[in-house]
Amino acid sequence: MQRIAERVKVAAIFAPGCKVKPVWFEWRRQKHAVVQLSYFWQDCLGNVTRLHFAVSDGSNLFELMFDTSNQNWTLEGIEE
Amino acid sequence: MEIERIILHIDMNAFFASVEQQSNPALRGKPIAVIGAAKRTIVTTCSYEARAFGVKTGMNSWEARQKCPELIFVVGNNRKYTYTSKQIINIMRDYTPLVEVSSIDEAFLDVTGCLSLFGSAQRIALLIKERIRKQLGLTCSVGIAPNKLLAKLASDMQKPDGLTVIETGKVRQVMERVPIQDLCGIGAKMQQHLAKFGIKTCGELGRFPVDILRRNFGVTGEKLHYMGLGMDHSPVIPDEEAEEVKSVGHSTTLESDIAERREILVYLLQLSEMVGRRARKYKVAGRTITLTVRYADFTTFSRQESRSSHTNNSEEIYQASVKILESLELTQAIRLLGVKISNLRHHNEQLPLFPAERKKALLACAMDDVNDKFGDFAVTFGSLLGKETGSKVISPAWRPEGVRNVDVD
Repeated sequence: MQRIAERVKVAAIFAPGCKVKPVWFEWRRQKHAVVQLSYFWQDCLGNVTRLHFAVSDGSNLFELMFDTSNQNWTLEGIEE
Repeated sequence: MEIERIILHIDMNAFFASVEQQSNPALRGKPIAVIGAAKRTIVTTCSYEARAFGVKTGMNSWEARQKCPELIFVVGNNRKYTYTSKQIINIMRDYTPLVEVSSIDEAFLDVTGCLSLFGSAQRIALLIKERIRKQLGLTCSVGIAPNKLLAKLASDMQKPDGLTVIETGKVRQVMERVPIQDLCGIGAKMQQHLAKFGIKTCGELGRFPVDILRRNFGVTGEKLHYMGLGMDHSPVIPDEEAEEVKSVGHSTTLESDIAERREILVYLLQLSEMVGRRARKYKVAGRTITLTVRYADFTTFSRQESRSSHTNNSEEIYQASVKILESLELTQAIRLLGVKISNLRHHNEQLPLFPAERKKALLACAMDDVNDKFGDFAVTFGSLLGKETGSKVISPAWRPEGVRNVDVD
C-alpha cells in the first residue's frame, strides 16, 4: 500500500448502535464513493483512539483513518 | 467422581494472511505471504493458496518466491491483527469466562459449566465460528475434547474451517495411529529420541513401559506416557488467574548485522527504554538484567547480572546491559539484541527515598505521562531521536491484557 497520509474530506454516517460508516471522500479534488467497506480496526496513539477503514471505490483500495481526538479524517494509503 | 471436562481449542486459520485477504478483496483466493517491514524479513504467515505451493512460515522472502513465483508479499499491520484478536477473544468470552489465550490466534475454552446455557459444545463451537465469520469474515478450526492436549490435536485435524470432536470413549482409537510429532510439546528432538525406542505413534508411546521413559527423560518421561494415552489434567487458566510474569523483555533483529559499539549502544538504549516503560506501566521492577546476543551465524547466548536493588528505570537497565556488554568479547557482528529484567518484584509503587534516585523516578514518570498521552517515544533520549523505535513483532507471549500486552507498530 502506498502511503499517502493526507487530510481528506469525508462524508460518514454515525448511526446509533453502529460503527461509523464512511460514504464518500474527496481526495485531490476528486470525489470517491465508498462502494465497499472491507475491514475495520482501531488502535491508539498515546491516549487517542483512531478508527481505520479499508474501503474501495470499485477500482482501488484506500485506508481512511478517523482521529477521535480532533475528528479529522486522513487518507493513510492507497492500493492501486 | 471427577466431572468430565469439555475443552475447545480454537485456532484461527492463516490468521494474518486471512485478515489481509479480508481487508483487500483483490487478495482473496490468491497466494499471499505476510512479511515484516524490515529489510531482511521472513514469512510471518501465508495464505492456504500459498501453502499449496510449499510456502511456509519462517521462510525468507527469496525462498518463498522460489516456491511460488506468483506470491504476493503484503507488509503486515500488527495493530490490525491485535485489534482483530481482541475482538475474537471477546466473542469467546461471551460463552465462557474460562478462556486461556495461548497466542494471538489460538485459545482454549473450558465450556464444561456452560452447556446448560448453550446446549452442547458443538453448538458453542458453531456459534463462535459463525460470529467470527459474520463479524470479521475469518474462519477458524475448532477441536472439542476432554482435555487441552486432545482439543489442540483435534483442531489441527481439519484445516481450514474445521470442527473435530474427540469423544472420551474414542480417545484410545484416535490416538493409536496419531504420529507423536502431532502432539503439542513433542518437537523434532524429542521425536528423534523416541524413535530410538521404536516409538512413532501415540499408541506406541502410551504402551511403552513408563519406567524406561522415566529413567531416560526424568519427570518428562511420565508426562510423555500420559500424552501417549491422550491424558492431560492441565486446567484452562484465564489471564486474570495466570501466574504473575517472571520477566519483562524485548529483543530486536537488527536491520543489518552490526559490530560498532556506538551502534550497539543505541539499540541497547532503545530496548532498555521499552523494557523500563512496560515494567513501569505494570508496576514491576527487576533485580536481574539479562542481555541476549545473536551473532550473524545465529549463535545465541545470554549473560546476566544481578543488582543490589530492584529497578524499572530505563537508564539503570541500560547501564547494567552496557556493563554486561563490556564484559563480552564479541567475535562476530551482531544480528539480534535482547534486554530483559527478571527476579521481579510486583506492585512496585514505592518512590525512592534519596533525592537523586527520587529525581530519576520522577523524570521517568514525567516522560511516561507525556508518552501515555502522545504515544511511545514521543519524548525519549536524545540519542534515539530519528531512529526506528518500538516493537515490530508480535511475540508468541502476546496477550490481550496485562504486562504481556505489548503495543506493536
